[in-house]
Amino acid sequence: MSLFGRAVLLLALAAAIYAVVMGVAAHRRGRRKWQFSAERAVYAVAGLVTLAIVGMWISFLTDDYSLRNVAEYTSTTLGWQYKITALWGSQAGSLLLWMWIFSLFACLVVYTNRHRNRQLMPVVVAVMMGIGIFFLVLLSFVTSPFETLAVVPAEGRGLNPQLQNVYMQIHPPLLYLGYVGLTIPFAFAIAALVTRRLDTSWITSVRRWTIFSWLFLGVGILIGAKWAYETLGWGGYWAWDPVENAAFMPWLVATAFLHSVMVQERRGMLKVWNMVLVILTFVLCIFGTFLTRSGLIQSVHAFGESTLGPFFLGFIVLVAVGAFALLVTRLDDLRSQHSLESYISREAVFLFNNLLLLALAFAVFWGTMFPVLTEAVRDNRIVVGQGFYNQVAAPIGIALLILTGVGPLIAWRKASPAQLRRRFTVPIAAAVVAIVPLLLFTDLRNHWVAGLTILVGVFVAACVLGEFWRGTRVRHAVGGVSWPGALFSMIGRNRRRYGGYIVHLGVVVLFIGFAGSKGFATEADRVIPRGGTAEVAGYTFTNTGSERTTTPHVTTTSVRLNVGKDGRNVAMMRPGIQQFSVDNVRGSKVALDSGFSRDLYVVLTELKANGSATVSVFVNPLVLWIWIAGFIITAGGLVAAWPARPAPKPVKASQPAGTARA
Amino acid sequence: MSGTTIGVVIALIAGLAAVMLVGWPMLAREDSHLERQIDAETREVDAGTDLREAIERSLTAIREIEQDHRAGNLSDEDFGTLDRAERARAAELMRQRDERAPADDEAPSTPAPDSVSA
Repeated sequence: MSLFGRAVLLLALAAAIYAVVMGVAAHRRGRRKWQFSAERAVYAVAGLVTLAIVGMWISFLTDDYSLRNVAEYTSTTLGWQYKITALWGSQAGSLLLWMWIFSLFACLVVYTNRHRNRQLMPVVVAVMMGIGIFFLVLLSFVTSPFETLAVVPAEGRGLNPQLQNVYMQIHPPLLYLGYVGLTIPFAFAIAALVTRRLDTSWITSVRRWTIFSWLFLGVGILIGAKWAYETLGWGGYWAWDPVENAAFMPWLVATAFLHSVMVQERRGMLKVWNMVLVILTFVLCIFGTFLTRSGLIQSVHAFGESTLGPFFLGFIVLVAVGAFALLVTRLDDLRSQHSLESYISREAVFLFNNLLLLALAFAVFWGTMFPVLTEAVRDNRIVVGQGFYNQVAAPIGIALLILTGVGPLIAWRKASPAQLRRRFTVPIAAAVVAIVPLLLFTDLRNHWVAGLTILVGVFVAACVLGEFWRGTRVRHAVGGVSWPGALFSMIGRNRRRYGGYIVHLGVVVLFIGFAGSKGFATEADRVIPRGGTAEVAGYTFTNTGSERTTTPHVTTTSVRLNVGKDGRNVAMMRPGIQQFSVDNVRGSKVALDSGFSRDLYVVLTELKANGSATVSVFVNPLVLWIWIAGFIITAGGLVAAWPARPAPKPVKASQPAGTARA
Repeated sequence: MSGTTIGVVIALIAGLAAVMLVGWPMLAREDSHLERQIDAETREVDAGTDLREAIERSLTAIREIEQDHRAGNLSDEDFGTLDRAERARAAELMRQRDERAPADDEAPSTPAPDSVSA
């Protein structure tokens, strides 16, 4: 299998090089058959990389321990589903997954553009396959997934127990779908710069790619947070871990791009800015991949030290310098058609939104790289804690949340004070009313950031729901349809706008979840003797005994905790300590009782022979809404990206331009 | 046959298939006149696609402006300004489309607003 795998990867590399050469030649000479040949080479790369990954999976499923990857990341006791997903447990395997997804996306780009963007496509193919060459060189010569062992072990080392989780099965592929998908807008942007076809057509071509990639990356980040919450046992879901930040930064910049392209499409502005954003997004995607493989950072997610760091750093520098240099040569072609007429306009709101998103991305970048820089300069690694990120992210996040509600209600070009009064009176009133329950039921004075977030969330929800109400009312009145019919037809006629509004509602729910879980959480450590009780935040935990379960794979020792509140039974929770058979690794088995108002989260830290249990108890309000928000955001993104039905007949112009309907 | 041999054979077959796939267009005889004609048509197709998409965007913008005005998000004055400008733009784009291909049957992929006339 090793020889086969290496051979097909080398063939794929040859096909990718051919595609780049022929793509460039087709662009320069305009020879059609060279362009066709280059595009077919893209299909060939995908086919060959598919053969490689299928071969890899066969090796995993047949326990072929002659391959290092298989020996170090699986065992005979591992379930088949984890043997498949063990592919991305290793560095080389994850790079192979990256390349496979990328090759399939490249095929899709070539296929869907077989009758369009014909002038752009030779350069798009060359850029895509240029990126492919980089990864194939790494896979062929630096870190091969088909590396063999001199001595074949009888049994594999097994998969890290923390990765034996359904969320870890889907989190990396989702992230890679996002990372890889964001290379497509970059390829089109470079092609637009090279060919000087700098109108809005390249943006239209990549809009759905950007939305889907942004969605995959965002959902991948959320799934990772869910995994951390249920597996790592520290009671939280986001620790500003460097690898978490590495995925968050391109997502922030991609969010900025998704908004600012609307300004270019509608008003012909921010052309240079959009180019900068799409280049920066791609560079940050590669940077994130670099961070996890360079050994620069310590993280539960990182692959540890490796030889890949210098290669990735060189590639990042090459891409960044080349892309920005090309952009500089095209600045004259990217002049805006209009200028900003008013700071109270939708264009201005989008611009402020962009600035805030980039400010947050920069702050996250600074915090992530600060330890590396201090070590390089002063030989002393200074770690940046959560406090820095929370101090920076909270005000920026709240400001962004406000813009999420304000933006949709402000007109293009300019908004009048009367219009602003009309639109924002009800949402502000709703937020003021929401203060009352917060004052009554929470310690608002000591949790004012969380309280403010919730109030702003209510304001934004009122803004967005108001837009749905007004649009539905108009449709109902004009179309004579039922209220539900008016709502659905309104959304169907403008999927992009209302899909975006649904995403905004999801963001509100997300922030309310953050506010509740971060601002109003309770944490306490308790020692509960067998038969004894302990109280945390109004909940009574009773130790009713311990139990032990053993499988060939893992032994779990748990304590049984009866949870009650106000005299009622609420839950039976079984936090435990796990001992895995391979490598004797220990881990926590978190006990979690989720509800719409709160999560009960219990971790067993020690169980004595006399049955006395030491536990950490977390009462986390509103966490469930964070995961629900993920579904809402996904639904909104799908609505926004869904293609519209074709209209029955074209509309022809019959009079000279410049006249308007009276 | 050992596994390694089977793997090598499959790799060879895959390589040959890739060479054929990639090389097939290169074997076609080239007609320089036809190439220039196809190039011109390619530019026409791209320009046509750009025009069609610009028309779709403009029609969507007109619809949004109408909806914003009906919903009270736009004053009458701003609506008038934006609506006239966008309708003029849409009409000009459609005129360009009609001049390029008077028998163009392709429709925009988004529904037209209630009416557009220039």
